[in-house]
Amino acid sequence: MNEAQITEKVIALITPYVKNTEALNSIGKDTRILADLGVNSARLVDIVLAFEDEFDIEVSDDAADSIATIGDAVQLIGKLVG
Amino acid sequence: MKLPRRMRLALRVQRGISYLCFALFGPILTAIYRFRFRFSAHQVDAVRAQYRAVRAEHPGPLLICSNHLTLVDSIIQTIVLGSLWDYLRHPASLPWNLPEAKNFYHRFSWRLVCYLGRCIPVERGACAEQARLAQARMRYVLDRGDAIAIFPEGRRSRSGRVDDRDFSYGVGQLLNRVPGAKVLCVYLRGMHFGGFADFPTPGDRFYVQLKMLVPHSASTGLRRARDYSAQIVAQLKAMEDDYFTARASGALSLPAAS
Repeated sequence: MNEAQITEKVIALITPYVKNTEALNSIGKDTRILADLGVNSARLVDIVLAFEDEFDIEVSDDAADSIATIGDAVQLIGKLVG
Repeated sequence: MKLPRRMRLALRVQRGISYLCFALFGPILTAIYRFRFRFSAHQVDAVRAQYRAVRAEHPGPLLICSNHLTLVDSIIQTIVLGSLWDYLRHPASLPWNLPEAKNFYHRFSWRLVCYLGRCIPVERGACAEQARLAQARMRYVLDRGDAIAIFPEGRRSRSGRVDDRDFSYGVGQLLNRVPGAKVLCVYLRGMHFGGFADFPTPGDRFYVQLKMLVPHSASTGLRRARDYSAQIVAQLKAMEDDYFTARASGALSLPAAS
């Protein structure tokens, strides 16, 4: 799975939790999930669990804590998917 | 993450100072609670005996998980759970609190109150490094056998009822990091007025119910954190149901006005 495919899936998985829907129009690697998209920090855990289900990976607590932007998520998933 | 030595020392100093401060200001705080605001608690002696028994049975790390309706729930809960003498004899029973930094740390006076009130500030949506540091502080005080008061919902219940649909997983993540910690669920509510408010109405009488919980999960990592959090919130919801059932049936009634 290439980076573009991962990015597409990541955005699709995050979208249901986005409160600031206008930010979706300019979403990119540097978009901050909490600050820019208005995702509740508690729901970020649900998003990470959705990543685990979708990509069949396991994300550790520390790795989950390191996800701040879309790019962070894509990079982490890319590494775990191998 | 291991807490740096300087921070470990700072927490030990804060613990000692907050204890001395409680010895000095605890009676004043209790007097304000009792006489200025005319607060009282339903079956307070039984509640305190139960908390003493919990601490005697589980002298190690304890998470006190409560519903959250007003800005002063932590203070009221502390006053109801133990007498001054209880806390002076057992300093580990005086819980640490986890206030949101944005609400309380912008003014020096509030920072001071929080420091003296045995608080560890937390920040919602903090960067990974800050979140790890806050969790390392919590873990450190728990590992030393202290209690931490935490609101598993992650915020006050705007509806006045425990929100078992949209809650935080912070308590589960903390339990993941301190697997030996015990969980004491506390349901606290004003019996006269109750509900969501900044401050309880003067004259209110608080209903308090305590229940130990051993959360289970066959999962690991974040899924386990979610399972733990869900079970704790479900327990609080069940305790809330008990309260309203008892009120509706008349089994739990207010004392006649004097």
